[in-house]
Formats: sequence, C-alpha cells, structure tokens
Amino acid sequence: MPLNPQTPHHLNTASPSPTEEHNQSRVKDYITNTLSNLLTELASPDGHPSITLKPRSTKVSTRSINPETGALETHAASAGSTTYTWPGKDCYEAWKFTVAMRVLSGIADAVDKGVAVSKRDIYYNDPAVFGFQRIVDRLVDDFAHTVGVDRTALNVGAAAKGLVVGCFQWKIKDQAMVDDAHFFNPDTLVPRPQDILGLEVSDIEWVLILEKEAVYRRLAGMKYHVRSTAGLGILVTGKGYPDLNTRAFVRRLYDESRRRQSSKRIRFYALVDGDPDGMAIMSTYKYGSLAYAHENSALNCPEIHWLGLRTSNIVTGVDPSGNDALLSLTPRDRKKMLAMLANNPVWAVDGPEQEARAELLQMLMLNVKAEMQILYDGDGGLVRWLDRRMTHFP
Amino acid sequence: MSSVAHPTDIYGLAVTDKFCLSASGSSSLKVHSTVDPDFPLVQSLDDAHKLGCHHVVTNAKGLRAASIGFGGEIAIWSCHDGVWAKDSIASVNQTGSAGIWAIAMSEDGQYLAGVSQDGHVKVWDLNASGEEIRDYETKGSFGTCIDLSADGRFLASGHENGSVYIFSTETGRMPFSLSGLVKPVRAVAFSPGGKFLAAAGDSKVIVLYDTSSGEPVANLSGHTAWVMSLSWSNTGEYLLSGSFDGKVKVWSIDTRACVATHSETEKSIWSVRWLPKVGRSEGFATAGASRGISFYREATGG
Repeated sequence: MPLNPQTPHHLNTASPSPTEEHNQSRVKDYITNTLSNLLTELASPDGHPSITLKPRSTKVSTRSINPETGALETHAASAGSTTYTWPGKDCYEAWKFTVAMRVLSGIADAVDKGVAVSKRDIYYNDPAVFGFQRIVDRLVDDFAHTVGVDRTALNVGAAAKGLVVGCFQWKIKDQAMVDDAHFFNPDTLVPRPQDILGLEVSDIEWVLILEKEAVYRRLAGMKYHVRSTAGLGILVTGKGYPDLNTRAFVRRLYDESRRRQSSKRIRFYALVDGDPDGMAIMSTYKYGSLAYAHENSALNCPEIHWLGLRTSNIVTGVDPSGNDALLSLTPRDRKKMLAMLANNPVWAVDGPEQEARAELLQMLMLNVKAEMQILYDGDGGLVRWLDRRMTHFP
Repeated sequence: MSSVAHPTDIYGLAVTDKFCLSASGSSSLKVHSTVDPDFPLVQSLDDAHKLGCHHVVTNAKGLRAASIGFGGEIAIWSCHDGVWAKDSIASVNQTGSAGIWAIAMSEDGQYLAGVSQDGHVKVWDLNASGEEIRDYETKGSFGTCIDLSADGRFLASGHENGSVYIFSTETGRMPFSLSGLVKPVRAVAFSPGGKFLAAAGDSKVIVLYDTSSGEPVANLSGHTAWVMSLSWSNTGEYLLSGSFDGKVKVWSIDTRACVATHSETEKSIWSVRWLPKVGRSEGFATAGASRGISFYREATGG
C-alpha cells in the first residue's frame, strides 16, 4: 500500500447550522479540557495522566431487522467507560494511552486548523505505533461517541473510497455548477453526502452495485451504464465493504427513486462474489452493518436485488463456465459464514433473506465458493450475463 | 408417492423401522412416522442445533440417533416407547470432535464414527463417555462422507480431493486407498453384506468397489449432475442415488443398470434412504432443496 496522504481541503464554515455550531463547541471544549488535564498531571511529580473513553458497545443484547425500514438494528446494554493511564499497569495500557493520545492530537490539529483529515492521514502519522488502520478507526469512533457527536464533527472523515459512473448529473460543493465528468470518467469518487448539493437522476432506470473495483472498471470501460439492454443506469463500487459515503449515496438514489411513480422506480442490483464476504457486502448495502447499527436506517437500501453470484447456479450449469470455476472454502470462510449465521439477523432462520441463507448453508454443505471473474469467460461474457439478469428481474 | 413439506432445505435423513428423522436448515429435527401411510409428523426436537443441522444417523434397531449441526456440535438422541429425547448417558468428547463434518453409527448404536474437515477419521465409544478409540489420519482433504459396514468391521470415508479410504476397525489399519474418482466424493455406502462399497460425487458416476480386493468392479453411469447421496436396499438388490439436479435413480445390482429415474423436482436432492421392508414392499424416502420429504412405496418408485 503506497503512502497516500490526502490533501486536506478547507471546510466551508461560512454558515454552520446551530447544531453544527453546538457540536463544534462541544468538541473544542472536550479537547481543551482533556489536554489541559493531561498537562496538569504531567507537570505534577506524581501525576497520572489519563484518557477516559466511552467505547461504543460491543456487547449487543439484541439484534433485529426493523420491519418498516428494513434496517439492521441493535439494542445495546450501555457500556461503561475505560480509562488509560500513563505509564499504566502494563505495556498494553501504556501503548493504548499512547495511541489514544496520538489520535486525539490528530483530531485537535484538524479542529484547530479547520481542515478535514482522514483516518488514513492519522494512521500514516505513525504507522509503527498504531500497527493497524483499524486501531485508529476504532479510536476515532470512540472519541466521537465519548464527546457525543458524529465523526464529521471531529473533522475526521474516511478518505473517499467509492467510485461512481453513470447517466446522471450532480452539483458538488466547491465545484462548477453542473458536473458531467462522471458520465464516462470511472475515477469519480463518491463524495460525502453533505457535499452533494444537487442530484439529477431522472434518466436512469437502474443502479448496479459492484463489490469489486476490477469488475466496475471493466463495465465502466465498456460504458455499460449507457449500453445495457436494461436502459440507462449508474455503476457504483465501494471497493469491497462500502464506506459510509458510498452507502449514503446509494441511499440517496433510493430516496430519489421513492419520489417516482411506482411503475418508474429505479431498480437496484448487487453483483458480489459467491463467498461469505460478497454476501456480507450485499447485506451491508441492503440492511446495514453491525458496527454502525445506529445509522443503518438512514443508509440502507431495502430494494436491492441480489443478482449473484450463486454457487448453486454454477453447479447446476445455469451460469456458464463449468465446475472448474468453483473454489474450496477456506477454514476462515467457513468460520466467517458460521459467525454470520449466528450473529446477524439478516441470515437468521426466520430472517428476511431465506434464499440467501439457503445459499450460505448450501455453500457450507458443498464446501464451495465462486468469484465474479468467472463471468468474464462465459458465452457473451459479463455484459450478456448482466443484460439477461437485469432484464429478467425488472 | 406422498410428500411432507418443511420450511427449509433438508440436508439429512435417517430411517428406522418406525421413524424417519430429518435434519434441515432450521434448528429442530423433525420425526415422521413411517408406519402410518401418510407419514405424519409425530415429533419435533426443537433447539437441537442453533444454526441448523446437516447430518443425522441412527442405529439399526432405531433406539439411538446422532446429529451434527452447522456449528459443529454433535448431539446424541435415544428413543424410549416411541419418543425421542436427548440421550442422558451417551456423549461425544467435544474437543476431540471439533471439525467433524459427516458421521455414521454402528448397528448396535455403541460406536459413532466421524470424518473431519481436515481429513481425520475418528471413532468414539458412546457407552464409555464418548471416549475416542480410533483416530486415522489421511492426507488432510476435507472429509465429506463416511459409512460403517453392517458388521462394524470396516469404515469408509470419502474426501473432497476424490480419495476414498477403507479402514479396518479391528486392526486400526487402512487396507485400501481406492482410486477411480478424481473429483470431490459426496457419498460412500457399504452394501448390506459388506461385499461392495459404492462411492459417488462430482464426477457423476457411481463406482462399485469390491471390498475384499479394493478394485472397482462396476461404473454406474446415467446421472448428469453431482451425486449427493447413496443408499442400499435392505437385501442389497438395489442401490438408490440422488443428484444435484433433483433426479433420483434406482439401480439393479444384478444387471448393473438403472431401473427407474424420478424427477419430481429440479432442486438438489441432499439425502436418499430406503425404508424398512414391510411385507414384500420396499419403499424409500428422498429430501433436499425442494424443502420436502418424498416417500415412495415401491422399489422402483410408486
């Protein structure tokens, strides 16, 4: 992974809303108080500098699918708070204090200068100390939870990750009036939802969500969003598990669709690998994730139609390419599938995805999975396959 | 033929003289009566396996059963006065059985055999607190299926890499590693007298091996999809097979020919089992992704 620091762009602070203003002062107060307490403790000879965090609860008592919104919800027992002290009782606590300090100073810096930074920027300040990106991700979310604000109030966003191309127009904050570049430019990043000031999608009939960037680029290169027999559309990829921006964008499209007459609604399709990650990614777009359960009802798109891949179609020869296209599940795959079945109500025996659950169990039975690339070689390749599927499930 | 519906795919059937037990994608095991011509549901063993269950087996007398869930846990059941319940004594050591996929039970119900996802073949003595008495190591390929011969002297396992092994339970040795199948094996079954072992899977051919020589003696061809399950009739006269495209075939062992093909469904057949012989009639049960059990009343299907 190359070092890729994002150029911080200046936040437009011209007219913040009352809540934004309130949140910003809460963040500043929190940072000032925490840092001054740390300094006081450091200055005293037997001081114990410490940081107290209210981690987002990982002990979830119940999980369910909201029947109205189709969103995955969790009801957590309220978690206590954790205090990390320097030097602490062991190495782990000392490290935990250090990384929390580093993340807090990254946030303080961004808030102070009024610029947005990404979690990736903070990580690359000292990758050796953090070890993993997810350490930073978790701490940023915990700080936001501790202060009681959204992550964006900390001026920390995830680096834009999702890509979109299609037959639509939008107005992006700080950009020219109407941007058509995305018509054929597959490198258009999905921006933060609050930066999309206007969206015009009246020409499109479908949205195709793709798990893999490679498949996205292949289809974008063929201009599938224009040439599909299913009409004009939009191609989106979150490059694996989608970030919040990509999910928010898909949801925005869904909200646009709901304003149309019922016969003219946008059709939503997802094409993912026939493996546990692919199915979990499909479920993240459709129902939401367990990690951001409180935001799911504003981010999910309940009308997604799962196009595939289904290993069952490959075994029975419905999909071309033959049985050589199947791979054996790894022990990690099997473990992940069992965790999905045990923990996520999407896959429960009385859950909303009976067909997908049966497919998961069947994959465990047969010990097989399949990747999207196999569709490249079939009769007519990926395009013909998609044309057939997207016209079959209107 | 008559059918009974289930809410989820059925992955395993076990048949005794009075009952047909089914394992499915739901958490309960269902018990159907095979004595009543309508095959009614007579008992539901609820909360047996939280994530669903893929294999269920019984002993010949129909007094004990074992089931294994997708979560990997093995449950032992016993039947008293026509009612099934968790066996209060018999168990299998949980750590030693980690990673077990398919299971088989001895005729007397004392021994349970299992093949693991990393290719180990194990035997437990259920009457001795589930003590592990055998652990055969193979080449590490995922163990998909297992069978015990009626006299309990031989064990056979089938694997994802196409291997089929026969073990002697008496000596603990492996007399045969059978060749012939290259693709994943999905089913192995000893004939009632132990003369043959039938094996089949993704190669779509059923191979009959002579268990005394380990040589293949016949190929039964006709399926056009993966063969998922095999079962011998009580006399050894017929072999029953079910495949992923929903076809069920009955093979005559004398003539080595297919004598009946049933295509009630296009969805995968996961399990086929002969029913006990009642008088002169011999029937069988099939189940799978069509979410129902079909009962046929005659050997050639009726």
